[in-house]
Amino acid sequence: MTPTRLPGEDVPVETETVETENGREPAAEVPAGRLRRAGLGVLIAALVLGGGGFLYGAHQLRSSAPAQNRALTDTGATTRVAGDVGSALARIFSYTPEGTAAAERSARTVLDGRAARQYETLFARVRDDLTEQRVTLSTRAVRTGVIELDGDEAHLLVFLDQTSHKGGSKAEVTTAAAQLSVTARLEGDRWRIVDIKAR
Amino acid sequence: MRRARILTGAALALAVGFCGTGAWTYAQARTDDSLAYGRERDAALADGRAGIAALTTLDASTRQRAEQGIRAWRAAATGPLREELGGTDAKAGTSARGTVTEAAVTALDTRSGTAKLIATVRVEITPAGTGRPATDRKRLEAVLARTGDGEWKVRALNAVPVEAEKEGGDR
Repeated sequence: MTPTRLPGEDVPVETETVETENGREPAAEVPAGRLRRAGLGVLIAALVLGGGGFLYGAHQLRSSAPAQNRALTDTGATTRVAGDVGSALARIFSYTPEGTAAAERSARTVLDGRAARQYETLFARVRDDLTEQRVTLSTRAVRTGVIELDGDEAHLLVFLDQTSHKGGSKAEVTTAAAQLSVTARLEGDRWRIVDIKAR
Repeated sequence: MRRARILTGAALALAVGFCGTGAWTYAQARTDDSLAYGRERDAALADGRAGIAALTTLDASTRQRAEQGIRAWRAAATGPLREELGGTDAKAGTSARGTVTEAAVTALDTRSGTAKLIATVRVEITPAGTGRPATDRKRLEAVLARTGDGEWKVRALNAVPVEAEKEGGDR
């Protein structure tokens, strides 16, 4: 049993040493090292790609439409634009027979762009009638909703109640509802209405 | 050999750092409260618009269609409004088709799952028979509630009435 065993044990040992000396071990190490280096390369590439993917995903999340729109998410800014626009509409659509000038003066400070032109055209047409028929109009914003608030531009929906008296008497009182889509722009520290659409 | 190893190590460390930063940034964005709030707001607006359109629409040209329409009402509503609508008798008659022209969320509480919405609706009303359609504009206020599966349904729907200005309220 010894003779059979010993050669059997010796042979592999011998072959190994021989092969090592013949330079087969460095030859075997090169593919192993290459494999390791390739594995590392793949790992680094995967990590960089993954990181890039995460950053891209985060960017997508932050720049998506719901994220850019600060309506309601920024409570302070939302309340401010709603308040500014509501009171601006109330002021420009409220007047007494003697006081259309006050409404028009307010209009110059709170309206801009298309809204200012629309308002001027409207007033040029009705100004004389208003004074002649002694119309008093008062307007209140009863509901204001901010649809979109993105930086210095806002889009709102406003419900107005309008009460008008004709001829200075209390007899001819009419009430009307008005619904407006308003686009406002922040100039300096105040919101100005740039477009008004009836809904 | 040694330099290469150091370089590889540095590259690996950088890559790990980069990936970690990316993951952290993404996790921050994913769990950002105001982003989640914004998504909820948009979901409430979209579901609310669809719900209001469904609730202002009824095709009552035949009894079957009216039944379908009332089923659509019940699907869009929840709570007391749903109960109320369930009792509606389906019969052929005047049809209506509502289109939401503009809507805005005015209040949103994501914790309790309630929201308020204002909307302007154009309703086209067609009387039974060969009646000519008439168009009506409405302004509505809706209370929404979030159901278990994250969908917003209409809990209450009312017209916003016009009120005469109180005495002495002129400015």
